[in-house]
Amino acid sequence: MMDWWLAGFGMGQGTVDWQGEPWAIALVGAVCLVAWAVALFGPRPKGVRPGFRAVEGVGWTLALLVIVFAVAEPVQVEEEGRQEAGRLVVLVDGSASMGVHHKGVSRGARVMEVLDELRADHGELDLYTFDEALRSGAPDTFEGRGTDLAAALDAIADRHLGQSLRGVVVVTDGIDLGRLRADLATAASTDALRPDLVPSLPGPLTLVQVGTSGEMEDLAVESVVSGGFAFLRTPFTLTAVIRGAAGRSVPVSLLREQRLVEERTVQLDAEGRAEVRFEVTPRQAGRFAWEVSVPVSEDDAVPGNNSFPVVVRVVRERTRVLQVSGSPSYDQKFLRLFLKEDPSVDLVSFFILRTREDFRSGWAPEELSLIEFPYERLFTEDLDTFDLVVLQNFNYRPYFSHGRDDLLLNIAQYVRNGGALVMTGGDRSFDLGDYARTPIAEVLPVELGVTGVKTDEAPFRPMLTDAGTVHPLTRLGATEEETRDTWNRLPMMDGTNRTLGLADESAALLVHPGLQIDSQPLPVLAVREVGEGRTMALTVDASWRWSFSEAAEGRGNQAYLRFWKNALRWLVADPDDRRVVVTPSRENVLLGDAVRLTVKVRDAGYGPVEDARVTGAVVAPSGRSHDVELVTEASGEATMMFSPEERGAHRVQVSVGGRAADRGETVFAVSNRDPELARIEPDETFLRTLAAVYAERGRFIAAGSRIDPLVDDAAVRTVPERREKPLSTAPLVGLLFGLFAGLAWFARRRSGGV
Amino acid sequence: MLPELPSPHWSRRRLLQAMGALGVVPATAWALGSASQLDVAELQVDGVSLHRPEAWQRLLFEVIQTTSVEANPSVTAVPPQDPALFSHPFTVLIGSDALSGLDASAIEQLRRFVSYGGFLLFDDASGSRDGPFARSVRELCRELFPTRPLAPLPGDHSIYRAFFLLDRPVGRVVVSEVLEGVTLGPVTPIVYCPNDLSGALHRGPDGRDRFPVAPGGEWQRREALKLGVNLVMYSLTSNYKHDQAHVVELMRDGKLE
Repeated sequence: MMDWWLAGFGMGQGTVDWQGEPWAIALVGAVCLVAWAVALFGPRPKGVRPGFRAVEGVGWTLALLVIVFAVAEPVQVEEEGRQEAGRLVVLVDGSASMGVHHKGVSRGARVMEVLDELRADHGELDLYTFDEALRSGAPDTFEGRGTDLAAALDAIADRHLGQSLRGVVVVTDGIDLGRLRADLATAASTDALRPDLVPSLPGPLTLVQVGTSGEMEDLAVESVVSGGFAFLRTPFTLTAVIRGAAGRSVPVSLLREQRLVEERTVQLDAEGRAEVRFEVTPRQAGRFAWEVSVPVSEDDAVPGNNSFPVVVRVVRERTRVLQVSGSPSYDQKFLRLFLKEDPSVDLVSFFILRTREDFRSGWAPEELSLIEFPYERLFTEDLDTFDLVVLQNFNYRPYFSHGRDDLLLNIAQYVRNGGALVMTGGDRSFDLGDYARTPIAEVLPVELGVTGVKTDEAPFRPMLTDAGTVHPLTRLGATEEETRDTWNRLPMMDGTNRTLGLADESAALLVHPGLQIDSQPLPVLAVREVGEGRTMALTVDASWRWSFSEAAEGRGNQAYLRFWKNALRWLVADPDDRRVVVTPSRENVLLGDAVRLTVKVRDAGYGPVEDARVTGAVVAPSGRSHDVELVTEASGEATMMFSPEERGAHRVQVSVGGRAADRGETVFAVSNRDPELARIEPDETFLRTLAAVYAERGRFIAAGSRIDPLVDDAAVRTVPERREKPLSTAPLVGLLFGLFAGLAWFARRRSGGV
Repeated sequence: MLPELPSPHWSRRRLLQAMGALGVVPATAWALGSASQLDVAELQVDGVSLHRPEAWQRLLFEVIQTTSVEANPSVTAVPPQDPALFSHPFTVLIGSDALSGLDASAIEQLRRFVSYGGFLLFDDASGSRDGPFARSVRELCRELFPTRPLAPLPGDHSIYRAFFLLDRPVGRVVVSEVLEGVTLGPVTPIVYCPNDLSGALHRGPDGRDRFPVAPGGEWQRREALKLGVNLVMYSLTSNYKHDQAHVVELMRDGKLE
């Protein structure tokens, strides 16, 4: 009876939970207080009997307290667990490797058969899908881009913490891309398999393999190892691993940006693997895409893994420099010492030790240790083997007795094709070397053709220009200010060759402080980009003083070394150091992923160019072109996102103007090589090993076998239950309110208040 | 610092300028300033060093006449602690008595001079083998480069083929068949000549040789001149003659074995 009056409140175990909103309680409490005050202390007729008035007061007080109590919503909460039999948890591998088809049949279809069999034998299942993460329910599709079994098992253990499961069944092909497969393989190879290598589970584990080895035909290029970069003119090896049916003979092609370079035929071994090595000698610095591919048959389960593109960055291991000097001098000596001591430089020097004028000095030829100047060979067949040619106070005329014009033309063409040329000052250089109106003059950054006095012998200190402040060649300090300070303190030069000023599209980095040509300071150090190559003119022959005189002051020779190092680096610059540079965010991209292309535009002085209009195209392997139109920001940079739609090498070409110096180019490789599909052979060894680590709580069921999972029938789980008994809705509350309010009303009437 | 010794300044350029004036060569063949041309500085160590500017002028004239090197046949005396030393990358120190009086600052400057590209020739005028000058030079070299002592230069050293092919180094005397040197990396910036090279080249104001040479007579003086030219050429080209192209060519011509 009391249970009914109290609606079960106070019966059994539990705690009282006050569920009323505090503001509501306060509001109702305040209203009740006002009502109580009005009822008790409001105007009354005379002659009220005090006894009834006291009874009325008590009645109203209790009635209003019942209201406040009801608004506070006292609830008795009872929590208890219900014991049920443990569940059978099934994890289905939803990764892409489970979705491969062969002749219309997929592993996914087999999964459904396994689930039906389990339901038939074990009733309701707790189903989960796992790939890179764990999700509830069976997979809709098999497209997951990863498989992490350890993470999935850990998640199951977390979800059922403190419980025991009847069993955990994993339905998979065993192609695990997480750490578990690799860890177990390593441990197995060292005989160090331990239980702590695998997740601790709340129930016995059954591994059901789906798919069998050899059920699907899949010829694949499993990997290509290139090292990522190679050295110019130095052979490097691309090592590809081919996988397919054991014993099969496979033609393997190496392509460079869709063009066949070499083809080999390899025989796959008993395990269906073969390694093929291609030796490649790059002839150009930059980024280039190579691709190893094998034929795609109609029955190939994963055509996407039949080719493997890689982008290799070709860099110079050693810079080959040809130093030709018309006369041994301090300037030539110090430059040779610098070049010889730089391990990244392969130096070939030729110094003219004796001229025809010296032949009359009376020494017999056999007394001399001199060789003939092999100018013809150097400037014809050998020329392209050099990255940089330095003509140091060298006048060609006395020596180029055969094919003079052709040799000068060769040098100019060598520059346009990507070579670098430096001419330094002296009494055999520039106009004193008769270079005016020669092909060499056409590529130099200064104009030749001075008539009259061709030199100025007054000592001077070169002045850094604004372009020189930011140009990488003249950057001798960490900051622009430091660079200026360094140049301002360097020793004076002993004079300069005169020129007719700066050539077109050239930049002056150092100028003469006094001499001018056409109202412009005479350039002392000037640079130019000609075709694919670069040239530098230094019109003095005393740069050695930047080394030796600095050393006299105890400052070492860092200024000299840095200047020539900068010069070397800039002159033989890789494509990444050009004025217009385009770089991809990644060189090897998966189909479907976007790649960010960044274009950087710099002027002749290497300062950033704002508002430069960049046009160009991304050219896909099919020849389809996607326009690029960008405008640079204040940093000289502009970016765009590009989503490739084809696999293979994509070449990006951009330009700011029509000149070669204003063009940039790069390449990136797109593959549809989903790591999930790189190898689709089920890994039975891994699954067997994993089951073995769990010992008696692990079972492996081979593909096609009856599904008989390992279960723990004693496993129980507690199902939590929560019961709430609200007192505010109990009949007793209504009864008490009515009783107290009625009492108050009765007393009020009796006292004559109504 | 001593004033620069008077010199005729008949460099190759001056010669060409004069010839230009005579119409022998084009008159436009003017060059840059002479400060970067090769000259010789004699290290002046009070009470020890000898001064034979005429010997070096004779050598520089020979360099001008025989080679393509642009030289200024002037000789400057420079104390070892004087920063002006760095304006003369080819420096000699002639002596016969033990070197003394080089303070720490002088030694530090000499070390910097040699380390950063200068060439220093010690010429032993004593005519004796391993005399006090030789011993003091060895001691100085030990102070300069403790781990690189003065050592005999091998017979295939670039100095012996820098311009002329030389079998052995000779001077006014022949007390040793080898030059000695301090080698730093691929170059030998300090050379010690025990045979009084400057003595063989030295001339009086009348233009006559100051000292007889023995035992080879005038042939030996001629060989000494060749050695001097080679030292100058080596100071400018260092191990150039050991570059592969030269070795192969010289062997093909039968000049090297």
